[in-house]
Amino acid sequence: MWIEIAHFATLIALLLAIVLLAAPLIGIHWQRLVWIRIGRQSAFAICGLLTLASAGLIISFLQHDFSVRYVAEHASLKLPVFYLATAMWGGHEGSLLFWAWLLSLFVAIAAWKHWNTHPVSMPWVLAILGGLLLGFLLLVLFLSSPFERLIPPPPDGRDLNPLLQDPGMVFHPPFLYMGYVGFAIPYAFAMAALITAQGDSEWILATRRWTLFSWAMLTIGIVFGAYWAYYELGWGGYWAWDPVENASFMPWLTGLAFLHSVMVQERRQMFKTWNLFLIITTFALSLLGTFLVRSGVLSSVHAFATDPGRGVYILVFMAILLLFSFGLLTHKADLLKESPQMDSALSREFSFLVNNLFLVAGACTVLLGTLYPLAVETLSSAKVTVGAPYYNKVFIPIMLGMLALMGLGPIIPWQRSSVTRLRQEFLPALLIGIVVTILAPWFGITHGSGAVATGLIFFVGVTHFGDLIRQARIRMGRESLSASRATWLLVTRNKRRYGGLMVHVGTLIMVAGFVGSGLFQEERDLFMAKGDSMTIGSWSLTLESVDKAAKRNWTADEAVIRAERPGAEPLILRPQKRVYNEHSQPTTEAAIHSSWREDLYVVLGDGVKEGVWAFRIYRTPLVSWIWVGSTIMVLGVFWAMMQGRRIKS
Amino acid sequence: MISLLNKRLMLMFTVIMVGGALVALVLTSFTGALVYFHTPTEAVAKTKELVAKKIRIGGMVQTGSLVRESGTLKIRFLVTDSTTHIPVRYEGMLPDLFREGQGVVVEGTWQSPQEFVATTILAKHSEDYVPVDMSEQGIAKSKESLLKSLK
Repeated sequence: MWIEIAHFATLIALLLAIVLLAAPLIGIHWQRLVWIRIGRQSAFAICGLLTLASAGLIISFLQHDFSVRYVAEHASLKLPVFYLATAMWGGHEGSLLFWAWLLSLFVAIAAWKHWNTHPVSMPWVLAILGGLLLGFLLLVLFLSSPFERLIPPPPDGRDLNPLLQDPGMVFHPPFLYMGYVGFAIPYAFAMAALITAQGDSEWILATRRWTLFSWAMLTIGIVFGAYWAYYELGWGGYWAWDPVENASFMPWLTGLAFLHSVMVQERRQMFKTWNLFLIITTFALSLLGTFLVRSGVLSSVHAFATDPGRGVYILVFMAILLLFSFGLLTHKADLLKESPQMDSALSREFSFLVNNLFLVAGACTVLLGTLYPLAVETLSSAKVTVGAPYYNKVFIPIMLGMLALMGLGPIIPWQRSSVTRLRQEFLPALLIGIVVTILAPWFGITHGSGAVATGLIFFVGVTHFGDLIRQARIRMGRESLSASRATWLLVTRNKRRYGGLMVHVGTLIMVAGFVGSGLFQEERDLFMAKGDSMTIGSWSLTLESVDKAAKRNWTADEAVIRAERPGAEPLILRPQKRVYNEHSQPTTEAAIHSSWREDLYVVLGDGVKEGVWAFRIYRTPLVSWIWVGSTIMVLGVFWAMMQGRRIKS
Repeated sequence: MISLLNKRLMLMFTVIMVGGALVALVLTSFTGALVYFHTPTEAVAKTKELVAKKIRIGGMVQTGSLVRESGTLKIRFLVTDSTTHIPVRYEGMLPDLFREGQGVVVEGTWQSPQEFVATTILAKHSEDYVPVDMSEQGIAKSKESLLKSLK
């Protein structure tokens, strides 16, 4: 019953998407406002209908309606309610519907918020987003329908993949999708600005919050994924340069480049074409990210079973989007004259230019590594994988370069700086950075790039806090305020700048986490019988017993391990090997003890012989800094979002 | 005027240098990091040229071939594509899904012409969640779909 309502609602939404595409264009052509209004109303209606459709699918899950193929494939009678409700995006059909629903929601918000402020570009924005919605709904309805019936219905479903039965995995896709879909709005505004040749930089100001929001959501989505991989997959790491992880990382990189380079356009009217290029690329990569996962052309743990028809449709969709966007960009390129020119390497715009160079090089690196195996497989019969060493080799220098620029960029003035000014602003930070790099090996950071990274973290930290103190002093002197009051006023009056700097500080903490966990992880494979002990770092671990444990839809072998460290309370760790009822293969549940200093991570392996079990034990320094750093980053973005437009002085 | 032109040239030069360095970095790292994938038959046919090179071999774990050395994490088994069997040696933790009669990808090197020493074992995931490179079928399918779309 509910699934028919959902199906029908989606069909009407498809028809309305055609209206959303066509009506504003008719309105522009015949200068009839009423047609544009119709477009706007249909945007709201589509949002309502797709909300109904998504609700219908969720209700089918909650009712255990196994006559719906999608429900039968992704749920079972024993699946807890929480996972039943969220299994909607556990497979590709449902997640595409979810994508379409998010897009319709964002389109409705854009149509509501920007209606009065952007009358000229609005019809074009609506039409472009209508086209996107149409493309997605065609895919949902005709090539990967979650509404299909399964007759006769099975008595019980196949259950949700056990790896996905985890809170981390429940929240990972929605955030990622919010990020991907969010970039559609700035993209549409950029295209509309190109078509109408209006307002030059207006589209950037209009969509600043959308861009920031999308980038923040993408960050949360990626970090959730990394966190899930870390505690669910049992391999002690959080990032494997898997093609699908890469797919989410690419729009993150170009989106970050965009966030920086639009500031140059806003302040100096430069990089106009480049910014359009970046937003098109970012949105195209967002689509690529969605599609790569959903088409199954890539080999990865994330890839679902393949369907050739879908692959073709997706490639055609991408081709149309790219041809339209870049065609328009080249066609209208003469409108984008850049008046001012860059005249010094010692300027903020130049440091942003190099920053963009690094970020885009990073994105190209990932793109090459992700698509090269596909190209090789298609053009020859050879199969090839690009390993993590490639990415690590390239990304370590890129990260170090980005760190150096991060110290420079926000402090150095626009247009040009002078040597005296540079000396005053950077000399102390530079000296501290160099001293830290030289001293790092004495504190155990014996790895070359680790020592440089540590030095740079200090360099950037000192420039950032130095700048805050300098600015606060100026305010204190001018308005005779107390130090804390002056700092507070500074940070709250200019939320854009200090939100941005907060993101930088979060990044520094994260990089410290990368250095610690990436270079100094200790790993031990061994087998233990009851009563056996082992040591790792300052920890001593003793196996007390291996018992049976069970919950609603799984049973498990559970090891009980006592972990002791001098001067601390002993801990009990319980790693498990679970077997979910509907699935024959076991899954690993690592036991993790997390602290600010290091994580202790224990995985239970197979029984080697009677009473003897294999274990893999990791000691990973500073992993939790990655989660803390990313939280600060996201808070920084939200802080920056709280400030509206810059007041023109 | 000349100095302004010079300055702009210098700026361009800097950008090109940085860009060039990045491209060089990517390309030099890339060639070394490729790991080719072979079926057991291919891997045996090319044993000589593949010696000491890191490769991946994909096939099935031959039923009845798995031998565990009691009290250690050392195992031996045969990887097969039903025409050729390759003896594989491995020491360490096994992935959850590693089982006899299941698909497997082993990454490692030929130690001698008779023995492949694996450093990493990737097992096939459950039925409804197939990493494509683990199954010949999957590869054929995705290739077909791509070729189709390219035409």
